[in-house]
Amino acid sequence: MDNSIYLFAAFSITWTVIFLYIFRLFLSQRDLNRQIIEIEKTLHKKIKADDGPEYGASF
Amino acid sequence: MKYLRALWIPFQILTYVLMLIALYAIFIYAPVEKTMGVVQKIFYIHVPAAFLAYLAFFITFIASILYLYFRDSKWDTVAYCAVETGVIFCSIVLITGPIWAKPVWNVWWTWDPRLTTTLILWFTYVAYLMLRRAVKDNRRANFAAAFGIIGFINVPITFFSIRLWRTIHPVIITSRGLNMSDPMKLSLIITFIAFCFLYCSVLISRIKLEQSKMRIAEINGIMDDMYFNKIA
Repeated sequence: MDNSIYLFAAFSITWTVIFLYIFRLFLSQRDLNRQIIEIEKTLHKKIKADDGPEYGASF
Repeated sequence: MKYLRALWIPFQILTYVLMLIALYAIFIYAPVEKTMGVVQKIFYIHVPAAFLAYLAFFITFIASILYLYFRDSKWDTVAYCAVETGVIFCSIVLITGPIWAKPVWNVWWTWDPRLTTTLILWFTYVAYLMLRRAVKDNRRANFAAAFGIIGFINVPITFFSIRLWRTIHPVIITSRGLNMSDPMKLSLIITFIAFCFLYCSVLISRIKLEQSKMRIAEINGIMDDMYFNKIA
């Protein structure tokens, strides 16, 4: 009995499902990293704005 | 914590190596079954996937109890992530089962007790995920925890369905152990271990991701508050 096509289908679907899920996790992680960079930028801007202009630098 | 972080990369490498060994065991080491032929090899992913789905829902059950007891959101996150991964593995069970059944039983699907209870189990935990999205933040964790505990009733029913009712589903685990030849047994054990490592790897990654999401949402909330306070 040669049912290789069923075996191939079962394994390929299983690995596709697992890889798609892991890829989704990867995309979410990338999105979070982007958000962290944005937060860092916003914080730097706020800190600079709170400190005011650096007068000492021109002397 | 530092040691755990250091172990994370070797753990992932080990998972990868174990998966390769498992594939070798399935396709080369394990003999071809006489009656069913090569299609029987589907069983090496079907059975571990089913076990991991049960394990995931058991983790949800325990984490839900711990959440209701300690009221710590950490347990709610664990329960949620375990359900998500459990649904993935339960889906694999529901996909590989009919693919095996078609050449062996000559039908894709039959309303056999094991198949029906597994489908109900899948629907139960998909409902859990939908409930989490539907309920508001302050009540979400409580509802989800209650659902996670009650929903677990389905797991023993599904597991024992082949013993409780008349069924055509094969019985692998009997009172005398695993009902198969030694090379098949060894291949199944290797695949089992490899899938357990894969599951741990995926679950830990998912929990870490969810915790990072929550932390970022918290920081964004604080920053918004700071911004509005400044304007006011």
